[in-house]
Amino acid sequence: MAGFILRRLLSTIPTLLGVLTIVFVMIRVAPGDPALAILGDNASQEALDAFRERMGLNDPMWVQYLDFLRDIARGSLGESMISGTPVLTSIMEVLPYTLELALGAVFFGVVIGTPLGIMAALKRNGWLDYLLRVVSLVGLSFPAFLTAILLILWLAIDWRLFPVISTPTGGFGDRLFNLFLPALSLGLIMVAYVMRTARSAMLDVLGEDYIRTARAKGAPARRLVLHHALRNALIPIVTVIGLYFGLMIGNAVLTEIIFNRPGLGKLIVLALNQRDYSTLQGLMVFSAFLVVMVNLLTDIAYGLVDPRVKLK
Amino acid sequence: MKFLNATALSVLLATSALTTDLHAQELTMAVSAQSAGQLDPHVSTRTEDKIVFGMVFNGLVRFAPGSMSGEDIEPDLAESWETSEDGLVWTFHLRQGVQFHGGYGEMTAADVVYSLTRAADPDRSGVSSDYTQFASVEALDDFTVQITLAEGIPSLLGVVANYHGGNIVSARAAEEMGENFHTNPIGTGPFAFDELAEGQFVRLVANPDYFRGAPEIDAITIRYISSASARDLAFQTGELDMIAGTREDRWVTNMTETGEAVVDVFEPGELRTLHINAAMPPFDDIRVRQAVAHAVNREELVAFMGASVARANEAPVPDGYLGHNADVSFLAYDPERARELLAEAGYPDGITVPVAITERASLFAPMQVLQAQLAAAGINVELEVMEHSAWHAAIRDDVSSMVLYGAARFPVADTYLTQFYHSDSIVNTPSAVTNFSHCDVADNQIVQARSEPDQDVQMALWAEAQQLIVDEVCSIPLFELLQVFARSPDVDLGYELQGSLSLGPVITEQSTLAD
Repeated sequence: MAGFILRRLLSTIPTLLGVLTIVFVMIRVAPGDPALAILGDNASQEALDAFRERMGLNDPMWVQYLDFLRDIARGSLGESMISGTPVLTSIMEVLPYTLELALGAVFFGVVIGTPLGIMAALKRNGWLDYLLRVVSLVGLSFPAFLTAILLILWLAIDWRLFPVISTPTGGFGDRLFNLFLPALSLGLIMVAYVMRTARSAMLDVLGEDYIRTARAKGAPARRLVLHHALRNALIPIVTVIGLYFGLMIGNAVLTEIIFNRPGLGKLIVLALNQRDYSTLQGLMVFSAFLVVMVNLLTDIAYGLVDPRVKLK
Repeated sequence: MKFLNATALSVLLATSALTTDLHAQELTMAVSAQSAGQLDPHVSTRTEDKIVFGMVFNGLVRFAPGSMSGEDIEPDLAESWETSEDGLVWTFHLRQGVQFHGGYGEMTAADVVYSLTRAADPDRSGVSSDYTQFASVEALDDFTVQITLAEGIPSLLGVVANYHGGNIVSARAAEEMGENFHTNPIGTGPFAFDELAEGQFVRLVANPDYFRGAPEIDAITIRYISSASARDLAFQTGELDMIAGTREDRWVTNMTETGEAVVDVFEPGELRTLHINAAMPPFDDIRVRQAVAHAVNREELVAFMGASVARANEAPVPDGYLGHNADVSFLAYDPERARELLAEAGYPDGITVPVAITERASLFAPMQVLQAQLAAAGINVELEVMEHSAWHAAIRDDVSSMVLYGAARFPVADTYLTQFYHSDSIVNTPSAVTNFSHCDVADNQIVQARSEPDQDVQMALWAEAQQLIVDEVCSIPLFELLQVFARSPDVDLGYELQGSLSLGPVITEQSTLAD
C-alpha cells in the first residue's frame, strides 16, 4: 500500500511539471505586465523599467522559469508581486470562504433537490413531474450571475432580508446570515442536478423487485418510499454531489464577484487583471496539486472499497 | 481678541458636546476597483488609491478641500514659505508638533527631505519624473527645508502639495518597513491606516492627534467593488454611505430621483482624446488626419454621454488646468469636407483602419459612437476589442492607428503637454510616456514654457503649443467626463466639493455622519 502511494506520488511529478510549464508560459505570453498595473498609467518609463528590473521581469524567460521551479521545489509558491504577501498565505486566507460557499450550495442542492426529485418520480409523467422537469431545465441553463442578481433584487432590496454585500466575518450566526444568499444562488444549479439524479435514481429503484415485494406485503407508501427506496437511491445522489462539488468551486467565481465575497475565484480574477504573475502561478499550481491529490485519493479509496482493484 | 477666542472656544465646546453623545461613527464607501494597489503615495498613481492617500497623508502645502485650483493652495505641513527672486530656491517653514501615525514621532525637516528624495528616486517612486529638476533638498534646521531647483518648473508648489510625490511619509517607518511600507503606510493625515483586506477593503481610523483637530468620524471603510450595479444596490439598502457613480446622465437622474442620495459631480474632467498615429499610413498624410477631425461630431458624443457629466473640449489641455487654451481654433464638424480631403489625399473610396480598444465601457462606448461618425465620412474603423491590461500594453507597443485615451493629470498644462505631445514621450522609446500620435510640433514651446518665470509669457507659450498640436492634428480632443459620486444625505463633507485631485470626496476632520 505504502509503495503504491509512493509510486503514485512520484508519477504525479511529470503531470505537475507539465502544468507548471504551461501556466508559466501562458501567463507571460498574454500581453500586459504588472508594472503598469501597480504604478498606474502615467508612471514614467524610468519608473516602469526600475520596477520590472526589481521584480526580475527583465531577466530572460528561462532564468525566470528556473527561479520559479526552484521556489516550487522548496515548497514555496512565491510572493505576490502586488501586495508582497506569500501566495500560500493569500490562498489559505480565502480558501475557507470558498469552501464554505460550496458547502452551502451543496446543502441547498440536497435539501431542495432530493425531495423535489422524489416527488417527481412518484408522480411520474404527472403535471408536477413535467413542471419540475421544465423548472430544472431552466435552472440548469440559467447563468449564476442572473439568479444572483434576481435574488438580490427580491431578498435584499425589496424585502431587505439579507445584505447585498456578503461579508464572511463575525460569529457563526453572522456568517450563516451572510452566506445565505450567495449559497442559495449557487445552490440553485445544484438543486437542478440533484433533482434530476434523484428522480431517475428513484424511478430505477421503484421498478426493482424488492419494492414490488414490499408493496405486495402491504408496506405503507410512506415507509416504502423513505425506508426501502430512498436508501438505495441515495448512492447515485451522493456520487453526483461529489462530482459537482468541484464544479461548485469553479462556479463560485461569479457568485463571489457579484456578492463581493472574498474567495479563490475572486483571487484568481484579481490576479489575472493585475497581471500578478506570481499569485496566478501559485493559484494554478495549488489547483493542479489539488486535482492530482483528489485523483490519487479516489484511486486509493477504490482500492479500499472494491477488493477487485489491486493497488500495485 | 481674548473675547473672540473665548467665543470660539465655547462654540467648539458646544459642538463637541453635541457630537460626543453619538456612538462610534463608521463611514463605508465603495470605489470602482477590484482591490487596493500598493498603498504608497510615491509608488501608486492608480485612481482608486488616490482617495486613501488624500486622507492618510499631508504635503508641505495642500489644495484646499473641495478644490483643485492652483489659486486655492494653502499651508499644510509648512506654515509659510519664501522663494528667491529667480524662483529657484524655496524655503519652507514647517509646522511644529505634528505627529506621525502609529507612534512614529514628530514630523521634522528630516522626514520632508527623506520623502522628497524618495519621490525623486525612480527605484522607489513611480512619479520620479516630476522631480528631475530638484538639484537638492536640505534641512536647514529641524523645521526648515530648502529646495534648490536646477531649472524653473511650472509649479513647484504643485509638486510639494498633497498629491502623489508631494505626500510626506515617516522616514523612520519607511526605512524600517522598506518594501513593506505599502502594507502599512504611515502619514500625518486626519485618518490613519488600520487594515487592508486584499480584494475587499481598506479600513482607516481617525487620528486623534491630527494637527487640525481630531476627526468627527471615527473610522472609514473603503470597499473595492468593481460592479456598478452591486455598488448601487448596496447603497440603496444603506450598506454603503458613499459610492463611486457611473458617469452617465441616466445614472445621475436615477440617483437624484430616489431622493435618498446627494449626487456630487466634480472636477477634474477626464479628457477623452482621439490620438492619431502619424507614423502609421495613411495617417502620415495630414489631409487624412484633417478628414478625421472634420468627421467627428463632439455635440453628438456629449449628448450620448450625457450633458450632466460630459462637456465638449477642443483644446489638447483640459479645461480647468492652468494654461488651458479656451480659444483654440479647430476643424469643425463637416463630413462633406472630410470626404473631399480623403479624395484629395488619394482615397476617393475612403479608408479602412484597424484600431485597438479596451473592453471597458468608459472608452469602448464612445469609441463605437466615433466609429459610426467616422464611417459616415468614409473612414471605416475596424475595432479590435481587447482586455484592458492587454490594450494598455498594445497601445504602448505602437500597434494602433488611433488611440482613444482618457486621463486626468496634475492640473498644469505642462503635465498633459509633456506626457502626450512632447517627442521624448513617444511610445515604444526608452523615454516613452503616452505620446501615441508621434507628435513633435510643439517641443520648443513645451520646454520653454516649463521654466519660463514670467507667467504671461508662459501662458502664451502653452496656448501656442496647443494651437500647433491642433493644427497638426496630432489628436482630436473630444470631451471631458467629470467625476461622479453619490452619498447619503447623512454625510456632510464639511466643505463644498468642486474639485478633487484625489478623484473622490475626501473625508476630512470636519466631515460628519448623522445617524
